[in-house]
Amino acid sequence: MTYQPVTISDDLDNLPQLPGWVTSGRPETLETVAFQSGAALTVLDQLVSDPRHGVPVKLLANRLALSAAAATSKLEGRLTREADLRDAYHLTPPGEARGPDGDLLAFWRNAVRLRVSGTGEIVDLIGPDRAEDVAGWLNAGQDRARTHGPLAGCVAVLRAVLETDDRAERVACLLSDVVLARALNWKVVSPVTAQRLTKAALRDLVAEGQGADLAVEVRILEAIEESIRLARDLARRAYTLRTVAPKLRAKGSDAAVDLFLTEDAVAPASVLSPRIRGTSIPMTNRAARRFCDRLVELGVARELTGRPTFRLYGIAP
Amino acid sequence: MTTATRKRKPADEGGAVFDRELNELPQELRWREWMGRVEAVLFASASPVGRDDLARVVGQGASVEMLIEDIQAELAGRPFELAQVAGGWMFRTKTQFADTIKAAADLGEQSLAFTEMEMGVLCAIAYHQPIDRAGLADIFGKEVSRDLLARLRYKDLITSGPRSPRPGAPHTFVTTETFLVTFDLESLRDLPELELVQHPD
Repeated sequence: MTYQPVTISDDLDNLPQLPGWVTSGRPETLETVAFQSGAALTVLDQLVSDPRHGVPVKLLANRLALSAAAATSKLEGRLTREADLRDAYHLTPPGEARGPDGDLLAFWRNAVRLRVSGTGEIVDLIGPDRAEDVAGWLNAGQDRARTHGPLAGCVAVLRAVLETDDRAERVACLLSDVVLARALNWKVVSPVTAQRLTKAALRDLVAEGQGADLAVEVRILEAIEESIRLARDLARRAYTLRTVAPKLRAKGSDAAVDLFLTEDAVAPASVLSPRIRGTSIPMTNRAARRFCDRLVELGVARELTGRPTFRLYGIAP
Repeated sequence: MTTATRKRKPADEGGAVFDRELNELPQELRWREWMGRVEAVLFASASPVGRDDLARVVGQGASVEMLIEDIQAELAGRPFELAQVAGGWMFRTKTQFADTIKAAADLGEQSLAFTEMEMGVLCAIAYHQPIDRAGLADIFGKEVSRDLLARLRYKDLITSGPRSPRPGAPHTFVTTETFLVTFDLESLRDLPELELVQHPD
């Protein structure tokens, strides 16, 4: 049987989008960054905070966590690519060691789940060794954010952490994201800081180099713009998936669709079967594979790895 | 406040009350007693002791780091030291006495001596983890024996990691905390940099 592939609909143009004057031209002073980031953050805030726009926020968070992990891997000198990080995380049997790459992705996936209001969960995630410093770092960032705007707060906390420990890149990026989330009253973290940072930019920042603040702020702004594009894209893809959902007649397909709307990578053999994760609905291995193939046929999901076995499916780009 | 903290401790349920705070002692003696406790716990333990475990034997507000610093200051000039390693602190003899200890008893020799091949495989795993046997065979140009891997695993230097996406879903291998402690690394980033690692493609 053949199916009419669904074309990705374009009639979601009422989604908030970046005005052209934000994206045109690179900001050259701290003031223009502050101004443009204000506009960009408004758009991102609307996209993730207003459920009417239909952005799958958990999926967005998990997808951003993956690219943040790849970016942090680069900062830490391991240079692991997204595909390998994803494999390390998703192919580790329960109870076995994930290794450094899987642990890094787990770190960011936990990061996008933690509640930013208190410091307790943050300390749990980054380890007790730094417990005493966390409050101080966050205060430094938040004070700066109050007087100079959120991105200046991000830069302040990055510098504060890296001055104490220049190998704590992932902690620095996480705390910067926490400062941003608190400044915008978000309940959870959106990992944008790490995405485009480079080792050189961070080295300059700690050395108080000329224009280092500006360089880092511009990179965070770029990551915010990228996240907006991703959020809009995912909103469209989620819309398409929801449209075809009634055509899926497999038992438990609703629960499986929900999973695709929260996870960026779904392994049919372990996530959908023998029970659909998070539910008690049984699905056989074969049914799980057929379900994923069906989504691909309908043009709403993609196989991510290009492998004939150990496949991972997802709707995110 | 003290009673509240005591209630949470499992020791209290057994009946015996372990006095963490030592409120009746003057400040200086209290600090000395806490230093003694931390030192005793570290001395008694064969593996590194984490911050949380040490914090449990001293008063609420006491900084474990400062206690450790004071102990370290007292140990200056001794043949052993209090070192910070992955996951906590441990006592160990200084490396300059390695030969002395070997001459006295070659116990260390038995548990941690490596053949050249074992060392090579361990390095390959450390740099390329997660890596499976096929990956190791690619590096060495020959099969790496299961026995050798089992020996490394028995020494708790490596463990199984994610499955490799190849037919048969073989395990990959990753290094453990013990590996970091054994080679005195705080994290994998302390591995010496190799050109090879910098440019994997």
